[in-house]
Amino acid sequence: MTTSFVFSQDCNLTISGKIIDVQHNSPLEAAVIEVVGTRLAAVSDANGDFILSNQCKGKLTLKISHLNCDDVFREIDLESSSSYNFRLEHRVENLNEVVVSKLRVHELSATSKIHSLTELQKDRFSSKGLAGALEQISGVTILSTGNSIGKPVIHGMFGSRVGIVYDDMLLENQQWGQDHAPNVDLNTFENIRLIKGASTLKYGTTPGGVVVLASILPKRVDSLYGKTILSGMYNGRGYSAISNWVKSYKSGAYLKLQGTVKRNGDFTSPNYNLTNTGNKENNFSISLGKNGLQHKWKAFFSYFDTEIAILKSAHIGNVKDLLRAIESDVPLVIDPLKSDIDFPKQANNHYTANIEYTNTSVVNGELHLKYSWQRNHRKEFDIRRGALKDTPALDMALNTHNLISNYEWDTTFGNFDSGVFFQVQDNYSSPETEIRRLIPDYLKTKLGGYLTATFNNTKDFIFEFGARYEYHNNEVQKFYRDSRWDLKNYEAPFRKYVIREEKSQKLIKRTLVFNTFSFNAGVRHSLSPTYSINVNYNHTQRAPNIAEMFSDGLHHSLASIEYGNPFLGKETTHKAVIDFEKKAGNFQFSLTPYIIVGNNNYIVNEPTGVESTIRGAFPVWEYAAVSALFKGFDFDFSYAFNAKTQFRNSTSWVEATNTKTDLPLVNIPPLTINNQLQFSLPNWNSFFVMVNSKTIFRQTQFPNNNFDTTVIEDGKIVTKTVDISTPPNGYHDLGLELNWGPYPLRSSNVSISLSFDNVLDASYRNYLNRLRFYSDEIGRNISLQIKLYH
Amino acid sequence: MFKNILIKSLCITAILFLASCDDKDEPKAINEHEEFSRVTIKVTKEDDQSFETHEFEVEGHDHDNTNNTGNSGDPHDDHVEIELEANTSYLFEIRFYNDEDPNNPEDVTQEIIDEADEHQIFYELTDGANITISSGPGDTMDRDSNPLNLISRWTTTGAGVADVEVYLIHEPTSKTGTSRDDFGGATDVEIEFEAHVE
Repeated sequence: MTTSFVFSQDCNLTISGKIIDVQHNSPLEAAVIEVVGTRLAAVSDANGDFILSNQCKGKLTLKISHLNCDDVFREIDLESSSSYNFRLEHRVENLNEVVVSKLRVHELSATSKIHSLTELQKDRFSSKGLAGALEQISGVTILSTGNSIGKPVIHGMFGSRVGIVYDDMLLENQQWGQDHAPNVDLNTFENIRLIKGASTLKYGTTPGGVVVLASILPKRVDSLYGKTILSGMYNGRGYSAISNWVKSYKSGAYLKLQGTVKRNGDFTSPNYNLTNTGNKENNFSISLGKNGLQHKWKAFFSYFDTEIAILKSAHIGNVKDLLRAIESDVPLVIDPLKSDIDFPKQANNHYTANIEYTNTSVVNGELHLKYSWQRNHRKEFDIRRGALKDTPALDMALNTHNLISNYEWDTTFGNFDSGVFFQVQDNYSSPETEIRRLIPDYLKTKLGGYLTATFNNTKDFIFEFGARYEYHNNEVQKFYRDSRWDLKNYEAPFRKYVIREEKSQKLIKRTLVFNTFSFNAGVRHSLSPTYSINVNYNHTQRAPNIAEMFSDGLHHSLASIEYGNPFLGKETTHKAVIDFEKKAGNFQFSLTPYIIVGNNNYIVNEPTGVESTIRGAFPVWEYAAVSALFKGFDFDFSYAFNAKTQFRNSTSWVEATNTKTDLPLVNIPPLTINNQLQFSLPNWNSFFVMVNSKTIFRQTQFPNNNFDTTVIEDGKIVTKTVDISTPPNGYHDLGLELNWGPYPLRSSNVSISLSFDNVLDASYRNYLNRLRFYSDEIGRNISLQIKLYH
Repeated sequence: MFKNILIKSLCITAILFLASCDDKDEPKAINEHEEFSRVTIKVTKEDDQSFETHEFEVEGHDHDNTNNTGNSGDPHDDHVEIELEANTSYLFEIRFYNDEDPNNPEDVTQEIIDEADEHQIFYELTDGANITISSGPGDTMDRDSNPLNLISRWTTTGAGVADVEVYLIHEPTSKTGTSRDDFGGATDVEIEFEAHVE
């Protein structure tokens, strides 16, 4: 009896920790950590985390293996349950250097699940863009416009409800637009993390979630290293070249340079060419800094430049053209493949210049000061005639200045982060377009502060609280057409703002002020060394964006006229997320149900009537405040058959309802199931295969926004329904990826991957593609990627 | 001390920003030079050269079903009627204007003529009247000698009434056809009238 008691006492210890790829400071997924001489093993998850339970006191040897690496051994003298960081040098010649340190990682949130992309997951999408890379995370989908424009959707929310943070600043790039992809190059950053929900209020108040792209600081050593990725793809006849170089010095000074060049011609669907769907991108960034022991400073500059062709057949004139497109199985314009970009198209560029200073000599903490400037220039070209042929139909320059300061400090009872910020944003819509402004000129001033606190001194509980206050002052100068003014009875409420009247238009100058207060509370409870539960509540207030209040214009591809609602108030959402997780052993899972509630002020865009123009009658969509309820879950599980074979599944479901009308909300992602099998061959460590199977179900919950139009058919006038509501059928997308390497090549390492997307060349349409009325998605694609670590 | 530095720098930046933003210019009004606001069809009887000009004007009114201001913009309510005699030949000359800036009305027809390859006018008729439409004298031809139908000859036989849809098609995929579907492209103008043959 006594013996067995002692035995169980001594063998109740756990070894937990994180596997980090030291060169890229990203978590290393799928590393196998096993205790030599036993059958106990753990696999690191997407965050690099692992847990080995039921360990006995005393000396033991851990074997750490990774598909791309040689095996590494580490001896540990275990006295109590401990955490270790294993920092693996990803290079072959340095693999035996394992740096072990006690776990202490600054995370975005201590009580929410943080999803990190591994280097492999990130590089897989190096030439395809950020939204695609994020879609590998359960609960994240893409709202796309054609095949080259994609916005991340988290738990059914996108745009102003999803924050994209890069180099610690919120990206300001007219994110309200459904066809505005984030103007940021994911290749500039080593580390991509995502939180579903507003569990970090450090950057903003985005109820959908936040995506954080971050660079890592080079080590204080004399070194010159980098990475180059060359890709070529069959579909689109495209290529990309991405190169990163880091020069670091013992003094702590460093210089990082990064550049990206991408070119794609027209893509093809299984049955036809997708005319005018190519794109090109030229990006460049430079970081210069010094990591002193007490003072750190950094200057960052980046330039992002993209030109994206829009499917030719999606350029239509009126609702009958839309009807014709919907009724046709194939696009109405199919030309031979070409590589140049024609109208319609988008041409965007984004400049960023940041300068920051960190002082680590402050008592128990760090003080940061940062100034950031962003300039986003967006031009959208339609098919126009005459002298205006080469003039964009939309031409907006958005300048944003940010000044932020924050102070992070640790005490014996918790960790704190507090900050203040000041933002000035100026939007200028060029009148040279000779098309009335979709978005008016405005000047926005935003200031406020935040405080987050993490308490982790209780044994099995971590508590987290955050609060953020924002003051918004929007000074808007907008022209209203008299016809609109009269129709909406704006005379009474807005006459006092009119500063000029001319040619059947009125210019108003109006200041709108919003005060928002958001807070969150979270708890993480470790039920056992392997099981934990996170509960988070986010109360988020968001000031309506300029588009929601003031947009005014025609959407060509949707043949609809969109109007903002100048009476909107701030939007308050409540989100509760529970995350139940098992993160050790061969079988791991996480189940994350959530609910989001917006009472009376959740902003949606809905059809309200019809407007006649000389092109015929157009449906009118206006922004409105409704009550909304989102419920859904994400489920992830993985099973490691052995060190070389792993199976992963992720399933996401969400349902969103306008609770006033009891009708579903539009553009909500359908049920999605992803299965992934990764394996390598015995005795061939530097090769693995990954099979991806993605099943997208048909969305059955959708509002009916159809409308009627009349056409002449066989000599008679007949009424037809323009079906813009019915979602397309579900589909199955099969992918295959082969990876070789890394192999030493002179002083570098090289790895090669060959991927096949849509292997079966299946024809399907995607409910969340705004151009789904016009064409199928792209067909089979084969890409070859060569990665060089130098 | 850090607080001081912080507050000072915030103030300085704030002053700089506000100073630079105070003199922000008022935005310029935009007149849309591309959209058509008026279409005319001049109908000339070939026998005696007598003519009548019909105007089609649809402003960008809002027409919420609930909020109809009485200024109907539904093209079906416009009911422009063009009276034609039976067994007669007429020339229909269509012209396009932009009146957005009333001081400077523009005739956009010349732009269509200049870009003849990229434009097509098509009249689509319901059954009910015996009318034959062909290209008229002085009509513009594109590079492939397809007539644009800017000037078309309407030859009537028996009496009857037909609904007519007139389309200006930009970048049509085909320059010939018997229904709107055959032409593809984007519809830049769509107006309608009733042709009464008596």
